[in-house]
Formats: sequence, structure tokens, C-alpha cells
Amino acid sequence: MFTDEKWSSSKNWFIAAVFWIIIGMSMGLLTATKQIWPELLNNRWTTYGHVRSAHVMLVIYAWLSMAYVGSMFYMIPKLAKTKVYSEKLGNFALVFYNIVILEGFFALLFGQTEVIEYGEFPLWVDVQLLVAIGLVAYNLFKTVGRRKEKMLYVSLWYFLGSLLWLPLTWIVGNFPAQWIPSGVQQGLMGWFLGHNAIGLWMTTVGVGQIYYLLPKLTGRPLYSHQLSMIGFWAIATFYVWNGPHHLMNGPIPGWISKAGVIPSIVLLIPVWAVLANFWGTMKGSWSQTRTSVPLRFTVAGTIFYLFACLQGPLQALPSVSSVIKFTHWTVGHAHMGPFGAFSFTSFAAIYYILPKIVGREMFSKRAMEAHFWFSTVGFLVFAFSLWIAGVVQGFAWIEGVPFLQTVLMMEPYVQGRAIGGTMMYVAQFFLAWNMYKTIKLAKLEKKQQAQQQAATA
Amino acid sequence: MERKPSAVLIVALILWTFGVAGTVILPLFDQEINSATASGELRNYPEDSAEARGREIYIQNGCQTCHTQFVRALPADTNQNLGPVTKGGDYKYDLPHLLGSNRTGPDLMWVGLKYNEDWQRQHLIDPQSTSPGTIMPSFDYLSNQELDDLVAYLMSLKPTEERLEEYKKELEEAKLTERN
Repeated sequence: MFTDEKWSSSKNWFIAAVFWIIIGMSMGLLTATKQIWPELLNNRWTTYGHVRSAHVMLVIYAWLSMAYVGSMFYMIPKLAKTKVYSEKLGNFALVFYNIVILEGFFALLFGQTEVIEYGEFPLWVDVQLLVAIGLVAYNLFKTVGRRKEKMLYVSLWYFLGSLLWLPLTWIVGNFPAQWIPSGVQQGLMGWFLGHNAIGLWMTTVGVGQIYYLLPKLTGRPLYSHQLSMIGFWAIATFYVWNGPHHLMNGPIPGWISKAGVIPSIVLLIPVWAVLANFWGTMKGSWSQTRTSVPLRFTVAGTIFYLFACLQGPLQALPSVSSVIKFTHWTVGHAHMGPFGAFSFTSFAAIYYILPKIVGREMFSKRAMEAHFWFSTVGFLVFAFSLWIAGVVQGFAWIEGVPFLQTVLMMEPYVQGRAIGGTMMYVAQFFLAWNMYKTIKLAKLEKKQQAQQQAATA
Repeated sequence: MERKPSAVLIVALILWTFGVAGTVILPLFDQEINSATASGELRNYPEDSAEARGREIYIQNGCQTCHTQFVRALPADTNQNLGPVTKGGDYKYDLPHLLGSNRTGPDLMWVGLKYNEDWQRQHLIDPQSTSPGTIMPSFDYLSNQELDDLVAYLMSLKPTEERLEEYKKELEEAKLTERN
């Protein structure tokens, strides 16, 4: 059942990822729509709170994480000049991981939740997910262990770090709550996971992907190896400390607040190191973005990464936080990294890798273009609606406008978000259809080739 | 190090451990968040009380995705009349914590001060009838028992009398200084 065909793990993780982006984003669209029509599909299972939780957990741990693993099952062996340690294990881990995600999805719809954002699955699901991640990490570490290339390219550093950090962070965040002091202490542990799922998994794998893709897609070497090292170690040093800024201006002692806020601002260093490197690599290749959709996805991803990383440290300033915290702005910002930056790089990775492993070009270039433009324009409409909404809402609260009235004020922005969100959602069907066609045709062509060879032999 | 994955992993692990020590382990020793305030004691619900069951229903229905329990000493919160600013010790018995991250609906930290039981019940069954234009979904699918428990929990969310007096005094002083 579990094939050891070359590149099958990479391909299968990608297929599963794209299946889940459709499910995960339909949950997101339903969440957005429920803010316009609250009674839509309102019942014990698909009430707003359940659907929103399911959306967050699915897009991060189902879509994005599976796309990441798919990328790593291709990029790591390539960089190590060896093959995957065990394709069979990779495929087994995929089936297991998907079962766990399905369990978590239904648990959330049935109202089982740990409340911890980015770690909402109940404990019995967490434990299984940890095992599944462990299997993936073991397989990929083993692959690196068998490498034939002695130099470690920078993407490998990022992947190795991420594969170590994710399981560890997952353990801290999901530590059985009844064993630890409750209240704010548990909040700090929860936000340790909440922030580092982004910082030490989404960001680091995503950046590793970009470091791999940019030189491949432009045909130019990486701008600076030194700079990439600085970026890596600065992320590793400062990101881990970011959790407490989520409780800033709130019930935490001043010293914890400072311990969280200062590193959040210092993060500007690795971000600029990373971006200077990306754009240095792009020098002289910008015009290629007109013809190459994967390159365009990657570059758009780096631009959204810049946006996200300008917002992040800015929001960590207590004065800025005092206006935008708890508003729609936060929701806009929370989509910037996972969708704008890293889903885009994952799309690029799929478009770059899939043709290489199935042995045929993507079926439709026009579908790729449609995917890009619907995603980008949709996301801009979505994000700007939320940012403007957040600022308006934040200042209205400061003015003392009654809460219900601020809800009514948000109506046009919430509708704008839903329209942008619909475009983002529709875009993914172009991806799914294109992948399906490509893989199907690749199989057909291989079969025909084999028949021809048999006939001529 | 550029040739040794194990070295990368070890240093990555050490840096990660520093972060855990600073933001997770050290706070364990901070009394400010680890000893309960008088208002925090009020949230130490006896097992299987209506309030404790109501809290479970609150969580199961995802109320915390729209409502925070987090009052800051900032104009955005004081001008919204959310009640006393919260302290770490107010949450001592909250497991899991329900601080929240988004105010699609108003903050509920001290909601027990604001409305009576009938209003809460009516609001849960038919939000539009109490708050026209609200985007809160109706929770009419809850059983009577569940509604009773949930209302009991919401009504329990209030500070002690002393804390409330303190808060009122602070408000007066703030108004006076504003006038001067």
C-alpha cells in the first residue's frame, strides 16, 4: 500500500495539502460570511466559534504544514544529493498525519477545544500529531545524515531548525494544562506555541523554501551566504521570546512584557537580512517575473513577508498595540504571513517541484496565471478591508463609541473582507484542477511511452 | 559548522531553551500572576457547580473566539466602560485561560455587573431582541439546563465589592483631573 516510488512522498503530501486548502479555506469563507449573516448554518456543530477554530487549525496544520513537508521531501534530498531515506515511511506518515487532522477537525466541530490559539486540538489529538511530526522529522534527519554533499546550503539549516523546533514548541504549548499553574501562566505557555508555530515553523520553513527557489528560478546564485547565516541565527535567537507580546498592556508583570516586546522589535534585523538577500539575488532578474508564474509567486511572497514583518515589530510597540489589539487589524495581520507570504511560496514550490517529479509541465499556464491574480487581488481586497476596519474600530473604542455601534460601523469592511476572501478561495480551485490534470496526463503519457517502447522492442 | 548538521541542531536547541526559560519557566516564580486576588478567588468554582458547568459550555461553544476577558489600563478599554483593569491574580483559577485575542463582541471579564439573568438568557436565545444589529449567532439550540448553567457562569463574572468601590473612586479621580 505504501509505495517506495521515487518522489512519491513529496507528490502525495502536495496532493493532500491542496485537498486541505480547499476544505480549510471554505471554513474561512464560512467564518467571514457568518459575520454578515450570523444565522447561516448556525447549529451545535457549525456555530461560529467551531468553524473559526477549524479554519485556523486546518490552514496551518493541514494545508500549509503538508505543503511544507511536500517541499522538504523534494528539497532536502536534492540539497543533500541523496534520495529520501524512506519513501515508504514518508507515505505512511502522510496517511497517519491525515487521519490525525481529520480527528482534530471533527473534535473541533463537536466542541472539543483546548482554547489555545494555534493549538486548539484536544490533547488526545495533540499527542498523535506529535508522533506524526516526529516520523517526518526522523525521516528527513536520516536523509540529511546520508548526504553526499558535505556543505550545508542555507535552506537545509532552516529546514533542520524547523523540524527540531516544531515538535518541541508543540510540546510546550500543549503541555497537559492540569499539570501547570493555570491562568496567566498557562496563557504564556499557550502564546509560546501561538507565536512560535508562526516564528519557528511557518516562517523558517517558508524562508528556507525561498532560499531554495529564488536561485533555481532565476538561475543566479544566492546574493550572500554570510547574510543568510546572520538571518538564520537572529531568527533563532529572538523569535523564541515573542510570546508575551500577545498579553502586552495586560495582566502580566512589566518584566515579562519587556522580555517579549524588545525581541519582537529586534526582529527587524533578521527580517532585513533575509529580505536584502532575497532582493539582492533578484537583481537583474526582475523582468523574469513577467513570464514565470512560480517566480512571481515567490517574489510576491517576499513582498508580503516584508509587509508582515514591518507590521509585526510595529504592533509590538505598546502604543500601537493599544489601538489595534483585539480589532480586525489583527485578523488582517494574521493572514499576512500564513497566506500572503508563505502560502505564496508554497504555491511556487508546488509549481516548481511537481513538473520535475511527474516528468511533465504544468497542464495549464493560464490556470496558473488565474491562480496568481485571484489570490493576489483577492488578498489585497481582503487585507486592506481588515486593516482599515481595525484602525477605525480601534479609534472608535478610544472615543468611547458604544460597542454595538462599532459593530454596525464595520459592516462594509466585513463585506469587503468576504468579497476578497471569495476571490482567494476561488483561486485555489485553479490550483487543484491544474494539479489534477497535470498528474493525470503525466500518468497517461508514461503509459503510452511504455506501450510504444514495448511495441518497438 | 557549515558541514555539521548536529552542531546546527545543538545550537538551535540551546537558543530555543533560552526562550522557554525566559518566557515560560521564569514567570512560574512570579507572585503577581501566581497568587489569586480576592476577585480571582470568586472564580474558584466548586466542581460540578452550575458556574463550572457553564464555563464548560462557554468553551464548547467557542464564546472565547469573539469575546475577550482582558481589561487594560488604556483609553480603548476605560472609555468602553469595561470595569476594573484586570490583574494577573484575577485569572489564577482559569483553566484553560479565556483571555482571548479578538473582540468581535464586547469584553466579558465583568459582564455579571452589567445585565440581569433574564437579559442574559434572552440575549443567548435571540440576540437581536436585546441588541438590534448584533452579529452574535443565536444559541437557541442549547437545552434549558445548558442555558441555566451558562447564564450562571456569565452572572458570576464580577469583581468583589471592594474592587468595585476602588474602581469607582479611580474613575471619579480621573474625571476630576480631567476637569482641572
